[in-house]
Amino acid sequence: MDKILAKNDFARWLEALASYRLYAPQNKDDVWTYELIESPDSRGLADVMTAVPAKKIVFPQREELFAFEEGDEAGYALSELLPGEKPTVIFGLRPCEAKAVILTDLVFGGEFVDEYYWKRRNAVTFVGLACLKPPSPNCFCLSVNGSPHGTEGLDILLTDLGDTYYVESLTEKGEKLVKAASDLFADPKPDERTRVMRLHGESEKKLRRSLSRIEDVPEKLKGMFDSPFWDAESMSCIRCGICTYLCPTCHCFDINDEVESSSPLQGRRVRTWDTCQFPDFTMHSSGHNPRPDKAARLRQRINHKFQYFVEVWQNYQCTGCGRCITLCPVGIDIINVVEKVRDHAG
Amino acid sequence: MVEEFEPRIIAFLCKWCSSAGSDLAGVSRMEYPPNVTPIQVMCSGSVSPLYVFSAFHRGADGVLVSGCHPGDCHYIKGNYYARRKLALTKELLEHVGLEPERFQISWVSAAEGQKYTRIIKDFVNELKPLGPQAKLRRKPSW
Amino acid sequence: MVNIEDLKAEAKRILKGGNVKYIIGYERPSNAWKANPVFARTPEDVDRLVWDPSCIHNLVRFVVDEKRRKAKEKPVDSRPIGVVVKGCDSRGIVVLIQEKFIERMDVFLIGVSCESTGVVDERKLAKKTVGTTVLKVKFGERMNYVVTTEDGILDIPAADIIADRCLECIASFPVVSDHLLGEKSKRDVPKPFQSVEKMESLPTKGKWDFWEDQLRKCVRCYACRSVCPMCYCDECVVDTINFAVTPETTAEEKAQRIKWLEKSPADSENIFYHLVRAIHLAGRCIDCGECERACPVNIPLRMLNKKMEKEAKELFGYDVGFDAEKPALMSCYLDGDPGDFIR
Repeated sequence: MDKILAKNDFARWLEALASYRLYAPQNKDDVWTYELIESPDSRGLADVMTAVPAKKIVFPQREELFAFEEGDEAGYALSELLPGEKPTVIFGLRPCEAKAVILTDLVFGGEFVDEYYWKRRNAVTFVGLACLKPPSPNCFCLSVNGSPHGTEGLDILLTDLGDTYYVESLTEKGEKLVKAASDLFADPKPDERTRVMRLHGESEKKLRRSLSRIEDVPEKLKGMFDSPFWDAESMSCIRCGICTYLCPTCHCFDINDEVESSSPLQGRRVRTWDTCQFPDFTMHSSGHNPRPDKAARLRQRINHKFQYFVEVWQNYQCTGCGRCITLCPVGIDIINVVEKVRDHAG
Repeated sequence: MVEEFEPRIIAFLCKWCSSAGSDLAGVSRMEYPPNVTPIQVMCSGSVSPLYVFSAFHRGADGVLVSGCHPGDCHYIKGNYYARRKLALTKELLEHVGLEPERFQISWVSAAEGQKYTRIIKDFVNELKPLGPQAKLRRKPSW
Repeated sequence: MVNIEDLKAEAKRILKGGNVKYIIGYERPSNAWKANPVFARTPEDVDRLVWDPSCIHNLVRFVVDEKRRKAKEKPVDSRPIGVVVKGCDSRGIVVLIQEKFIERMDVFLIGVSCESTGVVDERKLAKKTVGTTVLKVKFGERMNYVVTTEDGILDIPAADIIADRCLECIASFPVVSDHLLGEKSKRDVPKPFQSVEKMESLPTKGKWDFWEDQLRKCVRCYACRSVCPMCYCDECVVDTINFAVTPETTAEEKAQRIKWLEKSPADSENIFYHLVRAIHLAGRCIDCGECERACPVNIPLRMLNKKMEKEAKELFGYDVGFDAEKPALMSCYLDGDPGDFIR
């Protein structure tokens, strides 16, 4: 169901959705971040790429799993802390972030369903904004089976037509949002539809970066596990967590008990983001660390995204958003590394 | 009836001077508020800023570090190092907006039982109007 | 003006002579305006070296890596490594030597003077170049930067896009070096510690509101810690329970390891982490600004560390990173150290 919404009416649409929690990219201290909308911006949505991707809403950095409390008799009371299902809308999502949610669904679904993830994720309606120009100089979504106007994972795709948004509802959830304020939405004229298709086509030519022949990479990686290549490439890595924490597809986590009082014992089991780039990620309690150096950890990141995930889920675990390139403090460039892998002799 | 707020003070007392001073206050039956939890350390110089932060983190309303007077340190120089370290710690805590009254440092010798009680009395009176320390405290239910 | 060919010539000279294992310098990838650290081992590598206002990284950080690498080397190659250092970076070398983390002969310093300007702040530059793409940034002749964009060349006064820390620079040329390029020109810094003084004038509540708001953004990526040359502890306060010691460490010992703070990014944990880091850097931070630059959520970290630098200077007359013979700030004292805050 396609509709047109005047940008001037955007704020009124948000008002009609007052029963939802609404997120949109907002500028805080020169950094764009998804925050709850406090006062709807009548100019519509910002055409930006946030630093922290939308994954933080469906997969929060800190999540309480359950609480435990020492009871009067011997024994402990455990109380589940499943998240509430307050309906949520995320506005202004880039198609790469929505695709990343689909990839993360694979991991948290399947045979072992992660209830915490799904309770949040099912309550979210994803309203994406097509990238008519790349939001980052390092975008390369087309090379990893993505698209600047991709609809994977989205419930609505908005395309900016200047004074209006072209509103494509892709799912029932999306249609429900539109119906909540149906008087604000008009039917599109035929030339508007053609204009959207033209803009989408043009947007594909604007990406500045690409990774060609990526299909050669998984096989190449298999033969490079012991190569000194990784040592050379990881020389300048400073082993922080930026590339993985800010990656929309990365989803590794750690679980810790946060004890509030030891007598009587009381606390919570908490899940947090974790990263394979921290030296202690694979530290065993014996003291052995199978990934003792940066070379092994860079190798892990590239292998996970371009070989292991492909083998298990038939998808690259990368949606080409370029955040890891833009925000790496030392300029380690995943496209360059993967290209070198692809062209590696032997 | 509203219960009056009773501040919880963690006091790091050096064994040779301040802790002995607090003992003197005790055996002399000097009265002073019971709000202090004393922790004996070997020397004020051995008090790491981490202990101070951690005490606030665990919910202390006030933290006191007390040692020997300059020149009287059992380990000769420990309290001089403490003077520097704790000055910087105090500046840092104030810089992030913790009330300056909450972190105090004092020199109390083994003979100054009276001084110790006065310091604690003053400390408690200064903390009461400030209320519970919630800024650095880890939140019990997040 | 620093002549890049002179830099390359010197680099090639020491490489050819086998005087150094490798040289850490800056290179620019072809598709970006920002320089990146590079490890040059051959004359071809050296030809890629650059020096321009985007050379913002503190390469001394990699001297720390080299020490770790050397510890595992068999047999040990005890030759020094070459490092390209700016004024601020060189103060980092001084601190490392002071703390006996490295020895002076472990490094061959190719010093570059920033002369009258400094390095460019990426965010400030982005604001000046909205709608176009920056291709290259060069030092101008008159306290300006020449910025080449896709849509033409911009002449921007240095003061508009220079990194904040350069506005408070106290070492515009390296304080220690083996080979110095560029003029030893001093920068006219009106008043040091201005950024801190503004914060100091706020009331207690204002300060707290500011820091609570800022540190709430922290995602605990530890980029600030990772990029800092002075954060070289093998086991950091925040990691204490994650590092098991040896196969012989008993379960009891492991259970007793102190967990100072939680891994999760709750507000109180974030503040604790940053307080600990700031106090551990007191008298050691040289204000290279890397922590603030690396932070993906733009927390003004310099304002925490700079406060400690200011107090070191004002309370104890201590200048950080100029004299390698001096003891560390917290391992010395003066009889006249202030004590009026002590009851």
